[in-house]
Amino acid sequence: MKSEILYPGAFPMVRVEFGEGEHIKAESGAMVACSPTIDIESKMEGGFLGALSRKFLTGEKFFFQTLRASRGAGEALLAPTVPGEIVVLELDGVNEYMVQKDGFLAGADGIAIDSQMQSMSRGLLGGEGFFILKMSGKGMLVLNSFGAIHKIELKPSQEYIVDNSHLVAWSTTTSYNIEKATSGWVASFTSGEGFVCRFRGPGVVYIQSRNPRGFGSWVRQFLPASE
Amino acid sequence: MVDTAPNALCFGDGFPATGVPCVVHVEGHGLTMAFLHNVHGTENGSDSVPFSDMTVSAGGLDHDQLVVKWNSPTEQRTLYLKNPDLIRAFRQAAPSHLSSPLERAAEQVRQVRKRHRLVWGVVGGSLLALVLGLWFGSDLLVELAVDRIPIEWEQKLGESAYRDFLGGQEVMEEGPVVAAVEEMTRRLANQIPDNPYRFDVTVVKSDVVNAFALPGGSVVVFTGMMKKAERPEEVAGVLAHELNHVLQRHGLERIVKQLGFVAVASIIFGNQQGLGQMMKQLGVELMTLKFGRAQETEADLTGLQLLYRAKIDPSGMITFFERLAEKDEGRVELLSTHPMSSSRAEQLKAELAAMPTVTPEPFVFEWDKIRTSLGVSTSTGS
Repeated sequence: MKSEILYPGAFPMVRVEFGEGEHIKAESGAMVACSPTIDIESKMEGGFLGALSRKFLTGEKFFFQTLRASRGAGEALLAPTVPGEIVVLELDGVNEYMVQKDGFLAGADGIAIDSQMQSMSRGLLGGEGFFILKMSGKGMLVLNSFGAIHKIELKPSQEYIVDNSHLVAWSTTTSYNIEKATSGWVASFTSGEGFVCRFRGPGVVYIQSRNPRGFGSWVRQFLPASE
Repeated sequence: MVDTAPNALCFGDGFPATGVPCVVHVEGHGLTMAFLHNVHGTENGSDSVPFSDMTVSAGGLDHDQLVVKWNSPTEQRTLYLKNPDLIRAFRQAAPSHLSSPLERAAEQVRQVRKRHRLVWGVVGGSLLALVLGLWFGSDLLVELAVDRIPIEWEQKLGESAYRDFLGGQEVMEEGPVVAAVEEMTRRLANQIPDNPYRFDVTVVKSDVVNAFALPGGSVVVFTGMMKKAERPEEVAGVLAHELNHVLQRHGLERIVKQLGFVAVASIIFGNQQGLGQMMKQLGVELMTLKFGRAQETEADLTGLQLLYRAKIDPSGMITFFERLAEKDEGRVELLSTHPMSSSRAEQLKAELAAMPTVTPEPFVFEWDKIRTSLGVSTSTGS
């Protein structure tokens, strides 16, 4: 299986080439176009309860699509809903990533997707909710962001501070604490940052260059008031 | 280079930030690592570290990984172990100088897990306590809130609903039927000490077998219900029940309770779609259902006592409810869609049997004339 990012930038697509019999899972609605050899199936990843917990705990979709090259080799084009970059990671069986709920676009069949409970402080203040997706296993993992994706590489014990709304994915060898952006409570909120995550390496943190919630509030001011 | 699946990640200055996957084995003297890719500073893609050179701690996102650090000739290396079997083998083989840091790391993991469990336990417990508190303590809270609402507010609220309802109805302004209903209401109201309400009874021409009360004292009686009644005491029974809904401020309690539950359910379930929304609806419906039944029973019992004090035969209330429940199963819309259940009738009969007998005083109006004016044939009696 090979993948290639087309039109890198704000409106990319990912082209996945399938050998006969190969298949991937993708976020429901991610398929843009595909060869006639590709069959699209709707699947509740992780069984009914797994899908249910993902839907209600993380806000991810209940069904994933399975794209399967059942009748010969072919290709499929996938794209996320929001404008923003796509990144393809190769998981090797030991590297695991936590992914914020809208960050998953597609994954090889060897990738396991679980919803995992976070600690109370991370759940309350981290901006990702109490449950986030944990990606483990082996194979290709395609993530998408709102805006551009930036990769932060952390050496052991190296620290970096990220605004919580800009998180996309982070490896499980990192650890992070939630803290106020500035020393005072009032300044923390008036600075517009509120809470931030202090990450500590080793590992990789993927961040997005735009804040979806911030964008939502910005758009809201132009919408006509509903009754 | 190795073929086996990697079970650990190794980090170092020259390594990628994601770490290099490697296969770690626990040996008698320390750990050996076989890297999947050739990495700089290793011989033939493998490395080893004796126990004497390493330090250990807990690390990773959930503090559930064993972090092994040592200084190689060129740089500091860090190994992240997650596989439970590997960690167990490490603990068994580790010499005594590592046992206390290992124990500290294990203790740290236990502490983190304990704290997680404690916090979630407290939150879960608080939520449960909130739900139970609402279920059992809500009546008290609602009563407290309702007590603070002035009667005038309640009357205004009831009047606006009353006007809305009457707008589309044919009202019977005067005549023997209206006079009869007014007489019954007067006799009942005279027996209510310190009555703050002025009961305003309206007769509506409709075949619907129903009567209802609104907050503030507005009572609506449908002619359909009067046609169905065989004795005036039966109509008086329904009126006594409805007047008590007003006196006990049941409508207001219902509004307060429903508002409160919607607010609490919104806090608990958030603005979720789908199942969350359904749970929210279900919760609110269940609570109001429980509440509604309790109100009906209260209005039944206090209604019965009111009839007794007004010297109107209280058995009329029971026979009327029973007859309607038997004859028109599910078809009669009586008393806010709460059909008379047999257990309710039994409860009222028991209550009535415990009361001292009283000689009923007849009404001034003639019931046969009322029925005739309603268009009911008196000879058949129905």
